[in-house]
Amino acid sequence: MIDGESFLAALNMLFSSPLPWLIVIPGILIGLVFGAIPGLQISMAMAVFLPMTLYMDFMQAMLFLTAIFTGGAFGGSIPAILMNIPGTSSSIATTFDGYPMSRRGEHNVALGVALGASCIGVIVGYSILFLLISPISEIVLKVGPAEMVAVSLWGIMLIGALSSRSLLKGVISGLAGLLVATVGFGEAGVARGTFGSAYLIDGIPVIPAMIGMFAASELFRLARENYLVKQDAARRVSIRQVLAGFRQSLARPWIVLRGSLIGVFVGAVPGVGSSVANLLSYTAAKRSSSEPDSFGRGNSDGIVASESANSTSEAGSIATLLALGIPGGAATAVMLGAFAMHNITGGPQFIREETDVVYAIILANFGQAFLLIALGLVVVPLLAHVVKVPMTYLVPSVLALVTFGSFGLTGDLTGPVTVLVFSIVGWAFRRYGYSVPAAVVGLLLGDMTESSLIYTYQISGGQWSYLLERPIALLILGLLFASLFGRRLIGLLMPKTSR
Amino acid sequence: MSKLAGPTRTNTAGDLVVLAVLAACVVFYCVDAIRASRDVLNLILVLPLSVAAFALCLAQFLITLRETRVRGSATALREEPAAEEPASARQGTESFADVFRVVGLFAFYVLTLPWLGFDIGTCLFLAAFLWLHGERRWSRLLGYSIGFGFLMALFFSRMLPYPMPMLLLGAA
Repeated sequence: MIDGESFLAALNMLFSSPLPWLIVIPGILIGLVFGAIPGLQISMAMAVFLPMTLYMDFMQAMLFLTAIFTGGAFGGSIPAILMNIPGTSSSIATTFDGYPMSRRGEHNVALGVALGASCIGVIVGYSILFLLISPISEIVLKVGPAEMVAVSLWGIMLIGALSSRSLLKGVISGLAGLLVATVGFGEAGVARGTFGSAYLIDGIPVIPAMIGMFAASELFRLARENYLVKQDAARRVSIRQVLAGFRQSLARPWIVLRGSLIGVFVGAVPGVGSSVANLLSYTAAKRSSSEPDSFGRGNSDGIVASESANSTSEAGSIATLLALGIPGGAATAVMLGAFAMHNITGGPQFIREETDVVYAIILANFGQAFLLIALGLVVVPLLAHVVKVPMTYLVPSVLALVTFGSFGLTGDLTGPVTVLVFSIVGWAFRRYGYSVPAAVVGLLLGDMTESSLIYTYQISGGQWSYLLERPIALLILGLLFASLFGRRLIGLLMPKTSR
Repeated sequence: MSKLAGPTRTNTAGDLVVLAVLAACVVFYCVDAIRASRDVLNLILVLPLSVAAFALCLAQFLITLRETRVRGSATALREEPAAEEPASARQGTESFADVFRVVGLFAFYVLTLPWLGFDIGTCLFLAAFLWLHGERRWSRLLGYSIGFGFLMALFFSRMLPYPMPMLLLGAA
């Protein structure tokens, strides 16, 4: 399974000169900054710095870009924990428990837990990738559009059922998100729900809508409060507590391992990957916990589950890129650009012929995880000072920041207007008990769900029997059904069996 | 995860309004999609989702009404005033006036960006927000608004590959 000769060549490639490592540190810092600023995306950071890789050899370019990826995966958790703003779509589940911990004054611990889970997740994820890169690529090839529809529906319904006390309202939120995502030109070449506006022809800008629903709506609510953390004593920044949080994540090896496995395998599915992996891992942690009710109220296990999955989904998406040459998301699409700039084509042949380079990329990520620990322990306490900023200053500053960021995402005023509209929608959703996370995940996956459903229809010729030939899709649909109605069914069956 | 309580008497009306708006939007969107094209490829996802969403909205509407009626009769039996419900049991405890003030200011900021630009617009938004929330120290109010506003405008105008609307920095 492991090619010893290529392994030694990879080690030689990485450690014969310190040069490759010198670009890793700025890469991680860039990723941390872009991940931590709402509105700036990891893919944007990689795209902005992609031209720099022209002056690097392929190995250095990959180290630099994966370092941005690694830093950004953790960076996204910082605003998720401190401000309830998922810096990236893969940090959605981190907000569920990270933000309540911050409001309780446990922001240092929460950030430490996120840092620990992210770093261990990267190590575990790339270890799995190192051992299983070929089988993973074979499994990914078996995932067709029918499976992708099933996975995205499962993710949306699951989070809808989890994040709202009312199952109906959770599911309505998810369906609403999916529908909104289909606004604009569809696969049939006609525009829907655009009100005749040219701005809506390309659909609703998803990331500004996500920022509006998560962040701005929460900021409206916080505007009258004095500080993010109410108690004076709880607002202090403590490196000791960050380290305590880091140790907490080490004490949860099973949650990390499960999250990492989910992250690698779900992350490898193009288009679905990291957005769903963190939610599935969170759900699994909640279901297996002895205190499921504490999830969503500041249970650090929720952060461990989410962060271990989203950092390993990076490994999964890189597996797809290396093994099949298919980018799993925007960030890996930029990496594919780096491949093209260096005249390299990913795919089975690349893995066969350039095994040493593949191993070097994987091994470099182990090193990046350790560097992230060191850099994170320096950066996190600095960023934790945000809890000391009075809300009078924090709220308008973050609102202005997301306005700039959303303009950056769309290139025109559609972004800021989308933030405004969806912040009001998000506020109404929160106030009346709908699930904002389910609506956001629906928004993120709606486009992919529709195109996958169309491909399934075209492949099957409209025959339902086609589903019977897709056991993985059936299994996922079964899991979806069980997630929604499993407990009720068991509840209905239990009295009969006890009689 | 925001754990929110079920509907209560204090905001049942709002809850029903949100449901009605959601259902109306779903119906409008579905009709618009059908009007655009009856092709299977156009409706393959939109139609079943719309039907499901509308049916669930209707079901939730009826559940909310029933819960309100049950709660109403229970309260009548207990003869307890509505105001005695614990605040923690309510879904949204923030006042409408506070939220509308912030939303209004944010909307003004976003919608006037084409004229005021990101530089002046941001400075004015920050200053107005600080003033409305009790900041009366002019040095801080102006210093922070101008400093933060221009710093952000400069940073993003240098970072982004396309021109941003600016009133002063654009002319510089």
